[in-house]
Amino acid sequence: MNGRRHRLVVLASAGLFLALATQASAQQLKAPDDIKMTLRLLVQVSNDFKRQITNKNFARVPREFMEYTEAADAVRSVMKNESADLKAKVETRLKAAVAAYQKVSDMSASAKETDVDKLMAEHAKAVTAMNAVFDLFPAALRPDPNLPPPGRGGRRAGGAGA
Amino acid sequence: MHSYLLPPARVSRRAVLLGCLAAPLTFVGCGRTQTAEQHVADLSIESDGDFLAFRPDELTCPSGALVTLTFHHRGKYLSARHNWVLVHPGQLEAVDKAVEHNEGIIPGDDRRVIAWTPMCDKGGMAMTRFTAPAGGDYPFFCSTPGHGECMQGVLHVTA
Repeated sequence: MNGRRHRLVVLASAGLFLALATQASAQQLKAPDDIKMTLRLLVQVSNDFKRQITNKNFARVPREFMEYTEAADAVRSVMKNESADLKAKVETRLKAAVAAYQKVSDMSASAKETDVDKLMAEHAKAVTAMNAVFDLFPAALRPDPNLPPPGRGGRRAGGAGA
Repeated sequence: MHSYLLPPARVSRRAVLLGCLAAPLTFVGCGRTQTAEQHVADLSIESDGDFLAFRPDELTCPSGALVTLTFHHRGKYLSARHNWVLVHPGQLEAVDKAVEHNEGIIPGDDRRVIAWTPMCDKGGMAMTRFTAPAGGDYPFFCSTPGHGECMQGVLHVTA
């Protein structure tokens, strides 16, 4: 009985420690709210990619890629006062994510690839690359890829996923 | 309200004649006169920053009111363009689909559309004036291709 109680105390302490550590690291960032907002922008544009592909609006996908690069630039701009170490890590993964979305865009451009399944498979790889960027931030700042966009339609649609 | 005083001037006989002809036209108007009882409603709406959402996403005005709606694109980072389009109930998806391959530009003769603003770039503002339709809930949305699914709301018109 004592052993079980001891284990519970250890688990609870570890949980508390993790929660505090996450909060502390979020507080160390200079602009956590702006970072959180720009990471959500990446998810929004990623969802737009997905929507254009599933609606077979392949010609619109390069336009979404342009917006993705703008969202990536937004992340860079709000990160300008963060530590050089974090900025370098984010830049490396952000570049990889942008490259992954560019591949989807290039496949869609000029109707070179109109196979929705193939494009969605490539999009899924891009989402993985984007999630690698999110992993560099505390959990409190990471956008939930399953959350619908904030608008009324998004709520009605019940979530589009990343 | 500002009032200006004009300098006194000699009034010619021709001006008096034109004035006499113009006066009755002023009372006849152009067909869509604003009666003393007509409500005037000023509505404001904006994009939720760069996100695909309106803020607020519900508006209210009385039926028959002369509505002036101002839309503000509050985006800062993305070059996506937005507008505000009010349609008759049940027509949102059809209108959205119809303008999908035309950069979301609303044609002037679409009878499903009640009112709309031009497309705005980030930071831009646009305005539209219309007479509020009969009581009911009217959907509005952004007609940029792909935005209508998320960026929408409802205008409640009270009878």
